[in-house]
Amino acid sequence: MEPAEVEFLAEKELVTIVPNFSLDRIHLIGGDLGPFNPGLPVEVPVWLAINLKQRQKCRLIPPEWMDVGKLEEIRDQERKEDTFTPMPSPYYMELTKLLLNYASDNIPRADEIRTLVKDTWDTRMAKLRLSADSFVRQQEAHAKLDNLTLMEINTTGTFLTQALDHMYKLRTNLQPGESSHSQDFW
Amino acid sequence: MPSTQKPMRYGHAEGHTDVCFDDTGSCIVTCGSDGDVRIWENLDDDDPKSISVGEKAFSCALKNGKLITAVSNNTVQIHTFPEGAPDGILTRFPMHVNHVTFSPDGTKVAAGASDFMIKVVEVADSSKQKTFRGHDAPVLSLSFDPKDVYLASASCDGSVRVWNIADQTCTTSWLLLQKCNDVINAKSICRLAWQPGTGKLLAVPVDKVVELFRRETWDSEFDLSDSLNVVVWSPCGRFLAAGSVNGNIVVWNVETQQCIERMRHEKKYSICGLAWHPKYKQIAYTDTEGNLGLLENIGDVEKPNDKVASAVAKDYNDLFDGDDDDYLNGDTIEPPSSPKTGDHEDDADDLIQPPGHGRRAVIDDDDDNSLDIGLIKASSGLLEKEDDGDDQTGGFAALPASSTQQPFYDGPMPTPRQKPFQSGSTPVHLMHRFMVWNSVGIIRCYNDEQDNAIDIEFHDTSVHHATHLPNSLSHTMADLSTEAILLACESTEELASKLHCIHFGSWDANKEWTVDMPKDEEIEAICLGQGWAACATTALLVRVFSVGGVQREIFSLPGPVVSMAGHGEQLMVVYHRGTGFDGDQCLGVQLLELGMKKRQILHGDPLSLTRKSYLVWVGFSAEGTPCYVDSEGIVRMLNRALGNTWIPVCNTREHCKGKYDHYWVVGIHENPQQLRCIPCKGARFPPTLPRPAVAILPFQLPYCQVATEKGQMEEQYWRSVVFHSHVDYLSKNGYEFDENAKNQAVKEQQELLMKLFALSCKLEREFRCVELADLMTHNVVNLAIKYASRSHRLNLAQRLSDMAVQKASELAAAQQQQEEEEEEDFPKHSNAGYSSSATEWGRLPGRNAQQDQEVEDAEETDACEEAEETPEVHRESKKNIFSEWTGSSPDNSCRLNKELSGSIFQAVPAVAAEKVHCVSSAVPQLSNVLDNMTKYSKKTSLSGSRAVNKQNPPVIKPLTPRPKTKQASAASFFQPRTPATNPVEKIVEEREEKAGNESQEAKVTEQENTENRRPKTGFQMWLEENRANILTDNPDLNEAEVIKEGMSRFRMLTSEERMVWTEKARGGRVSDLAEDKKRKRPPAEEEEVSKSQEQKPEDTNASKKSKPLDPSTNNRLSAFAFKQS
Repeated sequence: MEPAEVEFLAEKELVTIVPNFSLDRIHLIGGDLGPFNPGLPVEVPVWLAINLKQRQKCRLIPPEWMDVGKLEEIRDQERKEDTFTPMPSPYYMELTKLLLNYASDNIPRADEIRTLVKDTWDTRMAKLRLSADSFVRQQEAHAKLDNLTLMEINTTGTFLTQALDHMYKLRTNLQPGESSHSQDFW
Repeated sequence: MPSTQKPMRYGHAEGHTDVCFDDTGSCIVTCGSDGDVRIWENLDDDDPKSISVGEKAFSCALKNGKLITAVSNNTVQIHTFPEGAPDGILTRFPMHVNHVTFSPDGTKVAAGASDFMIKVVEVADSSKQKTFRGHDAPVLSLSFDPKDVYLASASCDGSVRVWNIADQTCTTSWLLLQKCNDVINAKSICRLAWQPGTGKLLAVPVDKVVELFRRETWDSEFDLSDSLNVVVWSPCGRFLAAGSVNGNIVVWNVETQQCIERMRHEKKYSICGLAWHPKYKQIAYTDTEGNLGLLENIGDVEKPNDKVASAVAKDYNDLFDGDDDDYLNGDTIEPPSSPKTGDHEDDADDLIQPPGHGRRAVIDDDDDNSLDIGLIKASSGLLEKEDDGDDQTGGFAALPASSTQQPFYDGPMPTPRQKPFQSGSTPVHLMHRFMVWNSVGIIRCYNDEQDNAIDIEFHDTSVHHATHLPNSLSHTMADLSTEAILLACESTEELASKLHCIHFGSWDANKEWTVDMPKDEEIEAICLGQGWAACATTALLVRVFSVGGVQREIFSLPGPVVSMAGHGEQLMVVYHRGTGFDGDQCLGVQLLELGMKKRQILHGDPLSLTRKSYLVWVGFSAEGTPCYVDSEGIVRMLNRALGNTWIPVCNTREHCKGKYDHYWVVGIHENPQQLRCIPCKGARFPPTLPRPAVAILPFQLPYCQVATEKGQMEEQYWRSVVFHSHVDYLSKNGYEFDENAKNQAVKEQQELLMKLFALSCKLEREFRCVELADLMTHNVVNLAIKYASRSHRLNLAQRLSDMAVQKASELAAAQQQQEEEEEEDFPKHSNAGYSSSATEWGRLPGRNAQQDQEVEDAEETDACEEAEETPEVHRESKKNIFSEWTGSSPDNSCRLNKELSGSIFQAVPAVAAEKVHCVSSAVPQLSNVLDNMTKYSKKTSLSGSRAVNKQNPPVIKPLTPRPKTKQASAASFFQPRTPATNPVEKIVEEREEKAGNESQEAKVTEQENTENRRPKTGFQMWLEENRANILTDNPDLNEAEVIKEGMSRFRMLTSEERMVWTEKARGGRVSDLAEDKKRKRPPAEEEEVSKSQEQKPEDTNASKKSKPLDPSTNNRLSAFAFKQS
């Protein structure tokens, strides 16, 4: 999967906006949205929120977890634990990127939030690499990783599985008893 | 009796705090690590005055109107109290100052700092300083000897020292505490204290005990145990309170050494500040997390204890009486020989006025306690709940006062009048405040050093773009509507009070105007309506302006204004009607209409408020119903249907999580039912930043037993009635309104009634059933009758039908009367009945006809849709009298009436006369019909139904569409008709004819029966079954095409198959007939129909349209069924 595809999926997440226009309920394939009352918070998908924001048709209310205090706690927790901790949203990275890019004026302390999410992300990626490394090193057959988000899986998933394939092939070739048949394959 | 512990409240940011009372005890003063000193009028004070004294405040002390604080820039500052103006720096240290304290006479201040030094400075002249050196670690706490001889100090080096102030020498020293290097590492802050008055004991909290040291001998007298941080003495010196690190507060009677109170902090935070109220038995305390708490009625246990403890006390008093007498002023300690005689009075006196205690200087009048209470009450502004507590303690304190010869008023106290306010604004004294937040937009005001400006923002940017105005006139009031911004300011020395309007809706270039008020007249409240603006002034005048600036009406108010609100052409003014007592406000309300027809709707009626509350919001719902909110969070709305009474529709406090949380109302919508408000944590109003978000609360009428199904449905029903009464008001005043929403509401209400009916049926409450049926519209009554007879409650069914008859005749009479009136003067109707059907009758006939037209259209589409084919609930509720009594074929009579009313407009007297005749002749017929009906409902035999059939004269089917079209065009002369209707009707007829051809029997029956009987032919039944198939095969067929297609398919069936259907149809018809009788379809109607040939097409039309009614009523009934076994 491409990161862009993951981002596309993330755009289905709901966020709250305060519209500054009035519009009746709109009927879309994915379900009904609205009604939009000026000044009244309403939940819409991220894609619509960004679209409206770009046209200056709304004010965005950041998700509850997008708060310096909460993110600091999450980051510290993530650093403290050896395993992956649950993230506030399955698309935390994508949402942070999207919302901070398009609506940073509606999010208090946007820069700090960006840094905190990046820190958390880095910590998690380091853990992921570490666990992949120990997985390969100990020649384990299977491993279970909880609380990974789609974007994180996406970063290493393809590479890791391919690498394991290759290694498997290499290893099986090293095994004595293999016939020259497989040598031909290589 | 245990003392009362009020819940803790947020006082400061987390961290070290300190607390003290002011000299009179009228307010609590706290300081905290956020660098603010807050002055609380009482514990419930949501808007304490804050004085910023520095980055962090470590300690504060208050005496003689001077507030001394130790702050983080290592200085000891003076502020004036209660103004909070800086009054210079008393002294400086190289390190943090940990504790400051006043000498008992208030002339000196002692400060102990982290540089191991203690300084005693004269307040009047800060150059006169005395320095005490000797501690080897930061000084923790200090305490002045009440006799001004000694100074006690505790330090991190573990020592507690007593210094002689005169020569700055250390008199004695104990090594009591655990050593540490800094204040933050100290286990306790060791707030020691001298006994007030005599100073014969020094209390030092050491680890788990309070050590009491005897003066002069400096021996440890005794210990009182608990793990302690802070000690304070009661002003009388008899009680000692101590706060501990783990959140306990313990109060001892020192003489008996008995613990009289033991309190636990809610969250077990360390207590770091304690203060006794100078007069009452109250202790204020703060913890290290910044919370403030209050204990009340401490030591009320005294009396019972006294007897038990008197012996001990005697011994104990003897112990130190010897050398005490020197220090006594005479009345501190009760004579041990007579512990009971003066006991009571002494108690009080001691607590109130410690003799020799320095506070006497401030309170010049010892005994005038009553006056003090009054003072306290007056200064506490709007009295909050705590008054109860105050009154108790106050009563206690007032006891000795009665023995002195002061006249003392003991009755209810007048409440200070609440000040005028703008709805949706936050207090004026804030630097950043909302001037208004309403459904149009937000006006914010910034008033700080750099800027004095007003920001206007519209929720809907299509109304107007956001604006920024300089606030050079310092406007304090504002209102906002979709066409203008209204601002007002108070007068200054040079300038008069001004009203400033920015009419952005104007089409000319000059959008602003201002009006100066006459001299000495101040604007107190303003509001905007549609096309007008109004202001109320101190001269008790309401001045109305047009939105363009023309002065219009002016009228006097009976009392000082509290608030105003405008909506459309309605103006609501709330004012003081008189003086309220015991915390109640006494408000009146006027509601005026300033439109073309000017009139007053509420003539200064009293405004109902919750007890001890005041008004916080006044306004209109988006639909124009007056509403208001009081400080207890109750939202009330005008119920126009019940004689303009106020009905509580929501209690916002029920939705609050914490005791100090509130909802700040910004708007009310009736459809959909929304209370828009802003949740405020720990405050009554929101801050401007971060931008608060609007939340939506549901409404709930305070009905009983809403947990039960019955209560719930009753509440829903009446809520629906109340929240849709605005429709009646709007229609009466000629506003346009959403017809669909109204229909929806009526349908919802009737459904609820039907559910309630079914529930009562199930509970065997037949009387209740009848009562419920009384609220139903006619058609739903029919359903109810049906339901009752189905569930074998024949008695009920009979009663219901009697009621239906009565209802119908009443309505007929009303209608007749009404029409007669109409002929003279038709707009004079205002029927404000409570039931919705009754109010329907209050409508103007023109509108009525128009609605009927709309309804018809809706019906026709309904007939096509066939999905749930009986929208009668809302359809028939609109029908006029004819439909009411003819019941099942409403369209027929409705059109008849339409024609007739049309003829009224034409003023053809002959037709009118005929109509009257119709009505009068109809009533006796009606009763006959219903008699028949009830008879038949008992014996549901086929023969009975046949008999009815025979009575009916055969009706010739109108085969030619011509008269109909002619008639239709005649009707369209008055009301435009939708062309789509006729073809469909034609098709339906055709279908019937063809179906008749299909089966001989069906045809015969059909001709025998009238159209109203509407027998189902085999084809129709087949079509109903197969319609879905046809539709799936040819999805874009319209109704007529579907029928055609169906016919061709039906013909393709074998004759046997057709016979099966025909048989079915015959079987079904029997039951249909039975049902028809129950639904009391009056045969009289046919007679009438036959009278005029013209009306017949409609008749058929109507009967056909209501054809699929039976199966769907069954569906509906089954939906209501509460599973009868």
